[in-house]
Amino acid sequence: MLRHGRRLPCAFFCNDSFRSLCWIGRGKKGNIAAMLRIPKLLRSLDPFLVMLIATVAAASLLPARGMAATWTDWLADFAIALLFFLHGAKLSREAIYQSIGHWKLHGLVFASTYIWFPIAGLAVVAVAGHWVNPLLLAGILFLTLLPSTVQSSIAFTAMAGGNVAAAVTSASLSNLFGIVLTPLLVGLFMKAGGGRALSGWGSVESIVVQLLVPFVGGHLLRPWIGGFIGRNKSILQPVDRASILLVVYSAFSAAVINGIWHRVGVIDLLELLGLSALILAFIMAINVLAARIAGLRREDSIVLLFCGSKKSLVSGVPMAGALFAPAQVGIVVLPLMIFHQLQLFVCAALAGRFRREGEALAMAAAGPVMVPRTEAEIEQAAEAVGMAIPDACVPGVASNMALLERHTKTLRGPGGAPKP
Amino acid sequence: MISALETAAAVRSGSVTARQVVERCLADLAREAPPLVAVTRILAERAMADADAVDEAFVRGEDPGPLAGVPYGVKDLFDVAGLPTTAGSGLYADAPPAREDAEAIRRLRAAGAVLVATLNMDEFAYGFATINARHGTTRNPHDLARLAGGSSGGSASAVAAGLLPFSLGSDTNGSIRVPASLCGLYGLKPTHGDLPMGGVFPFAESFDDVGPFAASLTDMICIWEVLSGRSATEDGQALLRVARLSGRFRDNSHPDQIAAMDAIAPDAPLIALPDIARARSAAFLITAREGGSLHRAALARNAMAFDPQVRDRLIAGALLPLGLYDEAQAFRTAFKARVADLFGEFDVLLAPATPCEAPLVDDPRIMIDGALTAARADLGIHTQPISFTGLPSLAVPLRRPAGLPLGLQLIGKPGGEPALFRFAAELEARGVTGVSAPNMVMQGEVQ
Repeated sequence: MLRHGRRLPCAFFCNDSFRSLCWIGRGKKGNIAAMLRIPKLLRSLDPFLVMLIATVAAASLLPARGMAATWTDWLADFAIALLFFLHGAKLSREAIYQSIGHWKLHGLVFASTYIWFPIAGLAVVAVAGHWVNPLLLAGILFLTLLPSTVQSSIAFTAMAGGNVAAAVTSASLSNLFGIVLTPLLVGLFMKAGGGRALSGWGSVESIVVQLLVPFVGGHLLRPWIGGFIGRNKSILQPVDRASILLVVYSAFSAAVINGIWHRVGVIDLLELLGLSALILAFIMAINVLAARIAGLRREDSIVLLFCGSKKSLVSGVPMAGALFAPAQVGIVVLPLMIFHQLQLFVCAALAGRFRREGEALAMAAAGPVMVPRTEAEIEQAAEAVGMAIPDACVPGVASNMALLERHTKTLRGPGGAPKP
Repeated sequence: MISALETAAAVRSGSVTARQVVERCLADLAREAPPLVAVTRILAERAMADADAVDEAFVRGEDPGPLAGVPYGVKDLFDVAGLPTTAGSGLYADAPPAREDAEAIRRLRAAGAVLVATLNMDEFAYGFATINARHGTTRNPHDLARLAGGSSGGSASAVAAGLLPFSLGSDTNGSIRVPASLCGLYGLKPTHGDLPMGGVFPFAESFDDVGPFAASLTDMICIWEVLSGRSATEDGQALLRVARLSGRFRDNSHPDQIAAMDAIAPDAPLIALPDIARARSAAFLITAREGGSLHRAALARNAMAFDPQVRDRLIAGALLPLGLYDEAQAFRTAFKARVADLFGEFDVLLAPATPCEAPLVDDPRIMIDGALTAARADLGIHTQPISFTGLPSLAVPLRRPAGLPLGLQLIGKPGGEPALFRFAAELEARGVTGVSAPNMVMQGEVQ
């Protein structure tokens, strides 16, 4: 039936990577047949993550060296600036004003992103410091200092039946603060050696030049270019993706030349996955608890869970490019890439569950669906489907509605409530 | 009554031509079919051309197919190239002609069978009685005063009268098995989706299937092999584990059906399908909603052009809330899982096909749970819950030469048709089942 094959209503909000998760198992038969030809593991992965892995593989096999590396670094810096320029131009002030009143919710999302996450990151560093690769630990700590994602937070909130307007504001504010807060937190907590960002507050220059100036510039130019960007999302979207892939290629080229694959093995990757799962579980538990203590409505609790548990790959990779030495960026973003995929899977599963719960709650609140029986109810139901019942049919239709009501009662059994 | 395979053997041996077979069949139809109200269109020109093609293939030394020169008919909802597909309704009498044959007809044609007629049905297949406002009520050849059952009543009546060796019908909730039982024939509802539905006018897509009627089990097996592309011998010879369905199935059945099931498998366990009444009601609601939705636009345009009895049922179905439909589908999912568990232990389940013999045309009511109800809606009480599960079910005729026909259902596992055929052959060999020809001086009066 159509109901089983139709596109989810949240498609409007979805970015490409999230949409791929929405479609898993929901396509028409033809789509499923086509998917069956793709290896199962690949089907379950976010396509953008597959591209990232391919880029890492390309950098591992053919790293940029010499002049090519210089040009790649320069291009990557330019791409980061362009990316933040576009982010600034896309940010709608109206959306932020619209639900600014949910201060309690936004405060909790802020606390989750910039207080609980960093605490979790610092705890992991403290506990696992003596047995996990220090550079990977630096990557884990870095990911906990990042802002939340915008697109997938909103998309999951919409899919789960949460407060979408509040999610837009929360995620946008988180990203906005992140441009300043993340570099500050990185400067405060990360003391791994070398690198432009970590050589003290001199990193402010690169933040200002690469992130803040383009962002503010883009936002100030929004009255003139915002419409164009809104109308040409399909053209500009590849800029997002290409910028990140370029930064990743540049970072991994440098990392490969510095021997990343001699220092990171399969065990390291498994440790990363385990630690990512631990952090995600901790943050989600905190947010569920916080929502209960704060007495948030169900719709707002969903916003807190999804916006407060995300870390942005789109912001994180270029920030790492701006904040860390080229040789370190590759290894620093590796934990982020793994965490990103994990959060997509977990949130997709949770969003589906919340949606079903929400529908069940709505159905329970509305009471069991009944067969239209009175003449007025039958007429109203006919109008709703664009039909007018001829007078000659009214007695026959009423008699058949009575028959359908008897079958409904039989289906529901004693008590008359819907049950499987 | 000459079987399809005997006819094909004669054509393949050259002792008779396909043209001669088809000419004889067309003459019989013209002479004897009208009292049955079973035929809606005789396709003489096409039939003769197809028969000539079979004969020419034989002359060229090619294999004319396992059904060479065998005439047959189809329920009036299969696409026939060059003709409008009416689904038994005047509403589509002037519809654009179908561009090609339905897939099932194409496969039968490739096997040498010759389509000679389209056959009567309840309008849009919505009913168990074949009471059709446009073409009339199809009669039972065993007693013209009685219903043939439906909705594929024309397909059953023409075969039971010996006018066609076999025919095709469709079965959404029992529309093959009910008329097969009332007319004393073999009728197959296949595993859901197993036989080709391309070019068939839909009714309720959750349950729609096509299948054959035949007067002999060997004919039935051959036709199934042609339509499915599978072999009936793939089943092997393992001992079949049989159970008898109890509860509502036994409570609403003819004493002869219970006696036959007990004689067939006296030691087989009696098992109750869980929530069988709920399953039937869920099937009823799903069918109503899907059928109503399918015709909603046409009903909105011109409801009065529909058959009055079908029209009011379809309108009611179109108004059924979507939430109720979802409830019924959710129940179906859970029910199918429970039945699948049950079928881990058995290969064949025995159940009555109809709750009674053919009702009278003048009083089309039957007794269900101690109360008189409309035959048109309730003759499928035992078939509808089986369609609900998607399992294959073969209606077999009890051998009762002195009485009106009555059938049983042999219900199998998904894809388990070969096991059903093997079990049916055992029953026929034991003399429990078999087709009885009607007294050819047809009884009863057409009003």
